[in-house]
Amino acid sequence: MELSLDRLTKHYHSQIAVDCVSASMVPGVYGLLGANGAGKTTLMRMLCGILEPTSGDILYNGRSIFDMGGAYRNLLGYLPQEFGYYPNYTAKEFLLYIAALKGIPRRIALKRSSSLLDTVSLANVADKKIKTFSGGMKQRLGIAQALLNDPKILVLDEPTAGLDPKERVRFRNIISEFANDKIVLLSTHIVSDIEAIADQVFLMKKGSLVLQGSVEDLVAHAQGKVWEFTIKEADLKKWELNYTVANLRHLDRGLATLRIISDQCPSSEAVSCEPGLEDLYLLYFPTEEGGQG
Amino acid sequence: MELLRLEHKKIWHRKSVLIGVLLCFLYVIIFGNLFSYQWFTFGSVDDFTSSFGNRFDGYSNIRKKQEYAKQWEGDLTDEKLQAMVRNYQERAGSNDISEYEMTDWKALNSWIQTLWPELEEGDQPYIMLSYVDPSRLTGFEQRREKALENFLDMNGQTEKEKEYFLNMNAKVATPLQYRWTEGWTFITADFVSQCGVVLAIFLAIGIAPMFCGEWHDHTKSLIATTKNGRKKIAGVKVMAAFLFALELFGIITASSVFLQIVFLGPEGWDMPIQCIKILAAAPWNVLQAEIYEYVYLLLAALGYTGIVLLCSALTRSNYVSLLISLGIVFVPMAVSQFLPLWGQKLLDLIPFVGNSTDIFRTNMYHLFGLRIWSPYLLITVPISLGVISLPFAVHFWAKRAKI
Repeated sequence: MELSLDRLTKHYHSQIAVDCVSASMVPGVYGLLGANGAGKTTLMRMLCGILEPTSGDILYNGRSIFDMGGAYRNLLGYLPQEFGYYPNYTAKEFLLYIAALKGIPRRIALKRSSSLLDTVSLANVADKKIKTFSGGMKQRLGIAQALLNDPKILVLDEPTAGLDPKERVRFRNIISEFANDKIVLLSTHIVSDIEAIADQVFLMKKGSLVLQGSVEDLVAHAQGKVWEFTIKEADLKKWELNYTVANLRHLDRGLATLRIISDQCPSSEAVSCEPGLEDLYLLYFPTEEGGQG
Repeated sequence: MELLRLEHKKIWHRKSVLIGVLLCFLYVIIFGNLFSYQWFTFGSVDDFTSSFGNRFDGYSNIRKKQEYAKQWEGDLTDEKLQAMVRNYQERAGSNDISEYEMTDWKALNSWIQTLWPELEEGDQPYIMLSYVDPSRLTGFEQRREKALENFLDMNGQTEKEKEYFLNMNAKVATPLQYRWTEGWTFITADFVSQCGVVLAIFLAIGIAPMFCGEWHDHTKSLIATTKNGRKKIAGVKVMAAFLFALELFGIITASSVFLQIVFLGPEGWDMPIQCIKILAAAPWNVLQAEIYEYVYLLLAALGYTGIVLLCSALTRSNYVSLLISLGIVFVPMAVSQFLPLWGQKLLDLIPFVGNSTDIFRTNMYHLFGLRIWSPYLLITVPISLGVISLPFAVHFWAKRAKI
């Protein structure tokens, strides 16, 4: 099973949201990282067939997904960034409705929805109306609906938004269990989630894929660019103005430890340290301005 | 099938729909039918403690009226008409309302006013029926023919149109038959036509969010990525909307007909519609008239459903869709009176804007050189408009769901 993006481009009038993106995905978990407006959602919507690309194509085992139509959608599970639901439906009714949309026979849908509600720990509120759910519960329901048809390709746009740390851990476990033999693409701002479960990471900036590879490969790009040292708190402003500060820890006696992302050694006292994915992210996105899309 | 079942269930899931259907049921069945039969319209009229002036005794009062009318059943000859008028005048002379209220005085008075206008006395404060000399009420059939001709002339109808209606009228069996038809008058001239407006409101409440509701609930992209795809789901939504329209129509019609049978019974079903409107030209009986009116209501409901679905597909807000849907019926109704006749007739072709009571009238449309009696177009055009709207609704929704 292979899902390929072939010079995928999307323009909104004169704005370029996704710019000639090419990539190939085989079973595994793929993390999509990028600042707001980097084009992640546009890319995901094209992958789901909701948006048609301006040019380029998406191929599933060599066939264009836009030609496959229903056959491709049958392989797909999608959790949109803005997950919609019917407030007056119960969780069970909602899953049964989505199952019907996905063409799952009622008998199977009943079993599947009940098992998924259990998986996402919503079995005890299966008959409660969704409007009474917390944000995290709604998000878990969204994850359940995406898994209803046991999709071969799972696209999750900000799936961990609104989940508390415990729920995020549970979500990561669900995805890890599920990902066997499947392609999972997820975007999130929570870098640690991607770091924990993604086999491969795509880094998007201004509509383009600037980096792709395993977490280790990508982190290697930040090798030698992450520094830690102690400063006087009074000098903090100066450092923040001139460098990307990855972390700041206040110490006693007016001192603070800074973690700085910089190509050059920022200070004679600075010590190079082991980078993480978050450092890489900051290296590429020193500000929140990601571009268009 | 499962998707249709769930899509249909989704309509009934909304509180607005449940409340709307309950209100519709209360208004049409309880107020429009049950209370009307038992109290407002057919209750005996001498209860001055009631705000309607009627007693809560419609069922027995209707039986009294039907019993009284039995003595006049059969051919409506001059002699019978005179006898009916005389009998009314004798009973009215007693000043006891219960004495004359069982007479068919509303129909009698309207016939006399229409056919013998020269006998009307301008300075009389009473209805014509109470003072007219019964012996002067002669030539009923000939006067009806003449009055119809005069009416067609005054209406500004062309010779060809006049000929069309006179030919139609020639098929009306004479002498006209008489039996108590006040109940049928209530149904065909009043009740069913009012149902249209009510049905329009509650259909709009139920169906207006059909497509745009997915924007409202942010479920559009979820739907677009499921196996069935946008177009198939749109098709199911259309079917669910029509099913809802049929159910609403069914609730109204079945309960109305049931209460009609309970209160009025089938008696008089074969009476000519001329018993209701003396100058009607169509050779129909009252049962045919009622069937026509319910068919009109059904086809208007289905046509309106198609149009509401189009509005829903074109908008992203439930409220905007509802307002536009209601505007399609109520704006033309409001502006119609300010338009020339051709404009009014054109607007009448919009579902629920026109009226099923056109079967009693002599309105005509000209289409490609053909002269068509208005009731034929009034039942065919609204459903056609609805059917034409459907592919556009599906197309626009499927297209918008993509972006």
